[in-house]
Amino acid sequence: MVARLIQRDQSALDYLYDRYSSALYGVVFRIVKKEELAEEVLQDVFLKVWDKIESYDSAKGKLFTWMVNIARNQAIDKSRSRETSKGKKTDDIDYLVNKIDIQENSHLQVDAIGLKEVLLKLSEDQQFIVNQLYLKGYTQSEVAAEFDIPLGTVKTRLRLAMIELRSILDIK
Amino acid sequence: MNIEEYILSGILEAYVLGELAAKEREEVEKNLQQYSALRDELSKIELTMESFLMKTAIKPRADVKRVLFKQINERPNGKVVSLVQAQSESSISWRYATAASVAIALLSSYLAYNYWSKYRKSESNLTELIAQNQRIAQDYNNVNLRLDRIETDLKVTSNPDFIRVVMKGTPNAPESIASVYWNATTKEVYLSIQHMKELSKENQYQLWAIIDGKPINCGVFDLGLAGIVKMKDALESPSTFAVTIEKRGGKTTPSLETMQVAGNLVKG
Repeated sequence: MVARLIQRDQSALDYLYDRYSSALYGVVFRIVKKEELAEEVLQDVFLKVWDKIESYDSAKGKLFTWMVNIARNQAIDKSRSRETSKGKKTDDIDYLVNKIDIQENSHLQVDAIGLKEVLLKLSEDQQFIVNQLYLKGYTQSEVAAEFDIPLGTVKTRLRLAMIELRSILDIK
Repeated sequence: MNIEEYILSGILEAYVLGELAAKEREEVEKNLQQYSALRDELSKIELTMESFLMKTAIKPRADVKRVLFKQINERPNGKVVSLVQAQSESSISWRYATAASVAIALLSSYLAYNYWSKYRKSESNLTELIAQNQRIAQDYNNVNLRLDRIETDLKVTSNPDFIRVVMKGTPNAPESIASVYWNATTKEVYLSIQHMKELSKENQYQLWAIIDGKPINCGVFDLGLAGIVKMKDALESPSTFAVTIEKRGGKTTPSLETMQVAGNLVKG
């Protein structure tokens, strides 16, 4: 797959998009919270994958992990640059409107039931950590600082949550 | 390196989330090359995240894909990156990275200090506990020894076969008093000192059993004996027990002028 991408084989990118765009879009959307921005970021992510594939090193992790990190970083950059350019107040309103948007956007196929099922099997602490880190796109140190939890605790909770998730999702 | 602890620290999760500072990340990458257990664990973490994110996927509008491929195909050599944008983007992310690493450094030094002082405290607590434990063990041993002695004493004093002979002070030492326990069957002799004078180093007390008017040596003793002490057996029925002061080591015949205490056996 990587070799084909390096050779500029568009069918490889096509395959990658079909397989992963929804997962990545989920990551991005939950961070930027606005459809048009999320779409823009998603395109940027795949452009970056296409352009920077040579810098991917399979010894350091899976291709999907690499793409998730690009997606997270792009989305966080995007939402931060917007937050700094706008006031906090408008942002709050923006967020509210957004929530309504989400509820009314029928074409957004959120697998909310599946997600809920998975999350509810975790302890409350673990739900919180997974929610903040994977869904809202906070970093571990941000969660630690924001919610006044020691960073070590954040790390171990995530570790425990991952082990739970592993059995819930049946990863062998 | 303790792989298990390393994994438990959650560092691999942080690595997967791309949250490690460059130095930590390089370290993890080095360790991954070295330990297959770490690679296995990493792979599981990645698969879990992938599976989880697949579950939480949101399908983008079909149009997004079309625009993406149009963008790619419209670029002259499929690769156009605005240099200025790239630079500002990277400088922003560098600023974030720097801020994050400073925050992490501060936090880690605080935690390190915190754990260090906790470690020191528990270490001194431990030393104290060990010392306390030794003291208690020592006390226990002492109590055990005393109990053993008292049990022996009790065996003698509560045995009706033993006859107690109280030896009262002679005019040489009117204050002194001691007792002998004598078993008529086994001929055993036990001595119990209630009160006797201190002697100089070269002298010792010697116990005698007077049998048919003849003094028989029952052994020498010093003060400072606790409880009841076994002496030499008196082979026949004595009429009197007496204690004299003799040169250290004792003599075969008593120096009767030094007699300290004496008592007659009252036969039941």
